[in-house]
Parts: sequence; C-alpha cells; structure tokens
Amino acid sequence: MTQFKGILLEHTLKICNRCILPETFPGIHFDAAGICNHCTREAPALAKAGERKEAYRRRLDDLIAGVRGSAPTYDAILAYSGGKDSSYTLKLLRDRYDLRILALTFDNHFISPAAAENIRTVTDRLLVDCVTFKPPWPILRDLFASAALEDVFPAPTLIRASAICTACISMVKSLVLKTALEMSIPLVAFGWSPGQAPIQSAIMRASSSLTCQSQKTLLEGLPGGLASGLGRYFLPDGYYEIFKDRFPHNVHPLAFFDYDEAEIVAELGKVGWKTPADTDTNSSNCLLNAFANQCHLQRHQFHPYVWEIANMVRQGVMSRDEGIQKIYTDQDPAQVGYARTMLGLQ
Amino acid sequence: MRETIIRDVRHFIIENFLFGDSGNGLKETDSLLEKGIIDSTGVLELVSHLEETYGFRVEDEELIPENLDSIANVTGYILRKLPRESFGSLHA
Repeated sequence: MTQFKGILLEHTLKICNRCILPETFPGIHFDAAGICNHCTREAPALAKAGERKEAYRRRLDDLIAGVRGSAPTYDAILAYSGGKDSSYTLKLLRDRYDLRILALTFDNHFISPAAAENIRTVTDRLLVDCVTFKPPWPILRDLFASAALEDVFPAPTLIRASAICTACISMVKSLVLKTALEMSIPLVAFGWSPGQAPIQSAIMRASSSLTCQSQKTLLEGLPGGLASGLGRYFLPDGYYEIFKDRFPHNVHPLAFFDYDEAEIVAELGKVGWKTPADTDTNSSNCLLNAFANQCHLQRHQFHPYVWEIANMVRQGVMSRDEGIQKIYTDQDPAQVGYARTMLGLQ
Repeated sequence: MRETIIRDVRHFIIENFLFGDSGNGLKETDSLLEKGIIDSTGVLELVSHLEETYGFRVEDEELIPENLDSIANVTGYILRKLPRESFGSLHA
C-alpha cells in the first residue's frame, strides 16, 4: 500500500494502491497487493462500463425524444451551482438536445465571486433562463453551524459527503423537485460527477412515496428548532398526492457521457466559463467547502470527497496522481477561517 | 428460497451502503430509509440490482416503501415478482 506521512493526518496513512481510499475509510480492507475490497468488488462492473454507458446514452436520447416540447414552458430544470460539472451538464443538454432549460441556482451565501460570474456568463451565452433561490442568512447559518458541530445526518450518508454538503444538497434537491412539480417540468438534471452517483441511478423517475419517506426521515433527524424553520423549502405533504402523476425523471448525464476534466474545462471556455481561483481543490463554486471538508476530516479521519474521487480514479476518468492531489492536500487555512468566521464558530 | 434472497439483499446493502460494515445490528424489518442507510437515490441502485440479478423489471408504480424499504419488504417483493419456475435455480 502507498503510504503518506505528514500529509492530511499527523501519522502514516496507508491508501489503496489502485484507487486512493485510505485505511481510515469505514469497512475497508486490503489484499496482499494492497488493493482494497471496493476495487475488487467493482472490477466486474467496470469491465462492462463502456457498453453500459452507451446503453444509458441511448436511454436518455429516447427519454428526451418523448418529453421534449411536451411541457408548458421548460423541458428540464437543472440544479445549477455554476461549478464545472453543472455548467458542463447545462452545455451538454443545450448542445446535444436543444432543451428548454430552467437553471435553478441555490445561493447558500457562499457562492464564490468567480462562480457567480460564471453563472451569469454561461446562462447568457447558452440563452438559458436562470433563477436564484436565496434563503435568509440566519436560517442557513444555523443549519451549517449545526452541521459543522455535530453529525446531524445518519452515518451511511456521511460516507459519501460532509454533513454541511449534505445539508445544502438536500435543500437543492428538494427545491428543484418542488419547482419541477409546480411548473410541470418533466426532467430534473444534476451535474453529479461519474464518481458521485453510480450509473444505475443516472436515469430514473422520482417516486412520490419514496421521496415522501426520505424527506420525512431527513427533517425528523434535524435538531428541533432547525427542522421547523426549514419546512417551507421541502415538499408540502399535499404535493405527494396532488402531483403524484407529475413526478419527473431524474437524470445525471455525466455518469454516462465521456468525462475528462481538461476537455470539460476547454469546452466550457467556449461559453466563457473560467476556472475559479478562489475555491478549494474539490469545488469550483463554494467558499464553504474547505471548512466542510475540515470538519469532516477531524470527525471521521477520512476526506468527504474520497469516495467520489476514488470511484473516478477506478473508472479511469481521473489519474491516480490527480486524485491524490485533490484529496491528500491540506485545506487552505484562509478558506477554512473565512467560513468559520462567517458561521460565528471562532 | 426466502433465505437465499435475504442473504443476497443483505449482502448487497452491506457492500453498497454500509461499505463492508458487518451490518450486525440491521434487522430484516428495519426501515432502510428511516435508518439513513439508503436515500431515494440509493433505492434506485437497489432497484437496478434487483433487475439485473433477478431478471424482472421494477415498474414505476412499484417504487414504494412497502416493496423496497426493508430487507423483509424487498425479499417479499422479489418473491412476488419471480415466476414460480425460477425458484429452483436460485437454490443452485
């Protein structure tokens, strides 16, 4: 196994020789060659990945052919952060399918100035309508501060993302779904990277009853005061029945389209997107992310992005060296300090 | 038959959502959503596994907690979906 010393943690850290998952990752074990159990388990699926991606591209083509132009105003709503992946997803859906898209940006009060500029530029260049949803700062401050101080989500959720990211993304997912239902939009698109969510979930109709139960579980798990203030950002109980037949398809195309970070950045350059210099190594839009990572690292002893990046290394869409650079680099103290001060957690 | 399916479903959940944790505390009737083991996206991964492993299609209207929200519910759902003649092959 590869070993690091003095990076990330103050002791020697062994990581998988293939995918970069560390020995501190829950449930991990290594074979004699230093290969982790996740690499071994994924090997058969990876062998069939090319064929599977092609099948999913055809499936998306068919799905879009069936819904394009059928809704009153928009064919798709995209959760649009202004980051690299959601910007590329927006461009892909415009260029390949010429969809009528509503981009919804959730302003969590930590959008970097460079990302805000990218949102303006890209939506203008692609002629896409964009709405920004910005909850009041005290509400988000209390939510993020709470997630920074304690694990307000179940342990399995926190294997794939930090508590702060989970809090934010839960609101984003709910808001785009709510808007899709209210505006009869048949597709909800996300810019999840190929490592974030598996291809099996890349095209699927949202389920009314499962969404209902998921949302109930999420809100019930939050500290009392928080849940009551956040209720309005989630689906009202009546929606599950009223809109039962209107639940959209969720799609995350980057799970099955070619994904090469350098090519994506070059492609986005054509619509004016610029790589931000003010964010951490795992985000191209959020000034809270470094602090979220730091909190997670301290509590769990593994990086909240390591599952995603390890998947991408394993899939061959990112080099191992690049993955190591993204994960095993200390968080920028200035960015961590900025978010901590904003949240009043000095 | 039922035991074989339970073992498969439990194994899939442990490997994919508990990341190899033994899942010792996970009872057959525990709600996977309420325990935070899977979210609505995770359910779709489970659905894909069922379709690939058992060779049937999960229809949109079957995406309900009563079919998918616990090891026992998933097992019961699989047993209802599988044709009788396939029961013998699952023992193999």
